[in-house]
Amino acid sequence: MAPVSTVAEVFDAIQGAKGGASAFCTNFFPAQGKLQAWIDHGELLGERRHQATFFLRQDRDFWHLYFCASSVAVLRQEITALAAVKTERVAVDLVGTEAGLGELLAVLEAAGFRRYARLVRLARPGQGFPPQASVDGAEVYCADESDGQAILNLLEASFDRYADQLPTLYEIEAAIAARQVLTVKSEGTLAALLFFETQGLTSTVRYWVVDPRFRSHRFGSAVMRHYLVTQNAVRRFILWVMADNENAVLKYRHYGYVPDGLTDWVIANKMTRV
Amino acid sequence: MKALPEILKEIRPEFDFAASSDFIADGMLDSFDMVTLVATLDKTYGISIQGTDIVPENFKNLQTIEALLRQCGVQL
Repeated sequence: MAPVSTVAEVFDAIQGAKGGASAFCTNFFPAQGKLQAWIDHGELLGERRHQATFFLRQDRDFWHLYFCASSVAVLRQEITALAAVKTERVAVDLVGTEAGLGELLAVLEAAGFRRYARLVRLARPGQGFPPQASVDGAEVYCADESDGQAILNLLEASFDRYADQLPTLYEIEAAIAARQVLTVKSEGTLAALLFFETQGLTSTVRYWVVDPRFRSHRFGSAVMRHYLVTQNAVRRFILWVMADNENAVLKYRHYGYVPDGLTDWVIANKMTRV
Repeated sequence: MKALPEILKEIRPEFDFAASSDFIADGMLDSFDMVTLVATLDKTYGISIQGTDIVPENFKNLQTIEALLRQCGVQL
């Protein structure tokens, strides 16, 4: 694997794998801004193989693996030759409909990966959300730049690093600058947050969490209601949630989110077990 | 054969694509939708859109997607 230094290199490498293939398969759906940030921070490596291209993105103590292959058969053959799969902690996200992911799951499992977590995408239409009287002691504010480390600490303590695509500090700082992290504080301590990304008519909740020390204060409700009320131009709200986290799914359902049919299977290699 | 607006409507039924000049900036298509759209266009029109062409500029609006299809030999 070699460091990727330009976005053009990525597209060129994808083209190398896609060519005229009619059965092209991939799990790589990078937004251009994110791709550029990964490259700028030296997080992205690439390797071109016969009719397949692989990318590794560093994340804390492991790597996310992305593939682009001219067919599933090519992927099956080439992935087993990747050295990193045998020596590093590697996680792979497979996104699609549950029915459509079976073949790719089988290929990855044959290459030594195991099913680690399943997330489902929930969506709600962007109909208006009625404002509600504020909750006592739960004023909602946009995070400021001094909150970055506390936000990172709360996210790392609350979510799974392999499955939840946790942000780096620089991503958190960018989100704060874009006023896309809402917080509730209690006596100066970060008690709850909602981290989101709004792009035009679509808004994604990336993380919604209440510090366990502040549960049952309705801070989570306050921050979610503030989010839904203030994003009033949005037509489509989406988010990913662990399928087996019934409590979280129920809470999102309460706010009108329902499954939209997309699944993300997170597959991890055996190195992640140590 | 399905027309382009029909294909877009199947991918994201909640949006009025005819009313937008920039599907990406307007949040109507995300990167996953774009790859889904490419796969659907490949299958519908019997083409193979090149990886280097899967960039937001080519999926900004109906006109840019139609231009991409013409470039791939589709007669619209």
